[in-house]
Amino acid sequence: MSFAGKAALVTGSSRGIGAAIALAFARSGADVVVNHRTPGGSSAARAAGVADAVRALGRRAVVVPADIGERRSAEGLVAAAVDKLGRLDFLVLNAARAPFKPIERLLERELRQLVETNFLGNLFCLRAALPSLAEAGGSVVFVSSLGSRVTTPSYPLGSLKAAMEVVVRDCAASLQSRGVNLNAVCGGLVRTDAVKAMRQVWDRLDTVPDDAWVAPEEIAEVVLFLCSPAARAIRGQTVVVDRGLSSRLLS
Amino acid sequence: MQNLITRQRVLSELTKALAETLRIDEQSIRPDSSITRDLGGESLDFLDVNYRMEQAFGIRMARHFFLEHIEEIFGEGAAIDGDGRLTAAAITLLQRRYGGTGMPDASGGLDMDEVPAFVTVQAVADVVTGILDTLPEKCRCGAAAWRSGDGTHITCGGCGEAAAFTDGDELIRQWLAAEAGDAGLKPV
Repeated sequence: MSFAGKAALVTGSSRGIGAAIALAFARSGADVVVNHRTPGGSSAARAAGVADAVRALGRRAVVVPADIGERRSAEGLVAAAVDKLGRLDFLVLNAARAPFKPIERLLERELRQLVETNFLGNLFCLRAALPSLAEAGGSVVFVSSLGSRVTTPSYPLGSLKAAMEVVVRDCAASLQSRGVNLNAVCGGLVRTDAVKAMRQVWDRLDTVPDDAWVAPEEIAEVVLFLCSPAARAIRGQTVVVDRGLSSRLLS
Repeated sequence: MQNLITRQRVLSELTKALAETLRIDEQSIRPDSSITRDLGGESLDFLDVNYRMEQAFGIRMARHFFLEHIEEIFGEGAAIDGDGRLTAAAITLLQRRYGGTGMPDASGGLDMDEVPAFVTVQAVADVVTGILDTLPEKCRCGAAAWRSGDGTHITCGGCGEAAAFTDGDELIRQWLAAEAGDAGLKPV
């Protein structure tokens, strides 16, 4: 598929799934905005590396640090994307931030941060991007995870992923008249740095067979498909990309 | 206190882990380097380094931060107030537990987001050493014959089992149980 002349903003794209999506867009011809939360630090260096890789593919890349949990910051991110690239065709809501603790043990400020980044932040970005997306007839893809539908230990993020899948479903209907499509990709066990956090709470993670793991690139391919004209009849859906993991009970 | 794994070895393995995680030169890592401010580390990097230390030494690092433990035991607000600043009790306890490794005088107040910057390489090494020092006198088999062939893993000279140490979270809880009363904190 070709996205030549298009522009994509991928939140949380300094590493992992987000970085894979950013690069996939670049390979398909789109210019990319690479976002990470914290100015400076290792994520800034990684974001710069992703941007360099995008440019090496002949595309424009802009790095914009922003904490999407803060409304002005999210709005600034979208504004910068449109300002630098002149348009916005695709918004991929990938950024996430959460502690690995049972939800009933979260302190109040942890609960608020959970909601701010993983729900409000996504809505702030969506609302800010709507005018440009509507002008372009663009698409939004939310990156969800199996925790939205399968009990997952110490994974309070799952509750917000579930909430966002409903947002995707509802906004796909309410925004249809504005020409904006929304879908979600629900990843299974994906081999990213987030595994470092997961293995701290899931002792048996290392026993998961190799064929159950999903590569970030495989998530990215489905994201791009959902942004393509071939997916125009798919609206408000969450596509599970987990190598069938969630369908297995005894095998 | 065990003497099979030296403090120098701990520092060396930690330095290697930090260099690999942060993709930086080992030469740029000093014991007094702040992992965030000087070396550019972030939250996922801490998790990665913790995992590497666990693999390197056969231990279990704490899953939760010191301030989290204070709030779990003594109630929300015991460590961090409504403005996100550390309470006097939290500062006292932080300095008492980690003060030997560069905790500054925080009597003027400290924002919770500033705390990670005070975690130095030496502080993490001391945490690892503290866990290693919980090596029990005897193995579960009854033998008192610990040994370390590679200088990083301790096994029983009697039955060959890997040594079991107190995990990092339990160590913090035990320490707080003993010390927090002096800081004016009572469990909820």
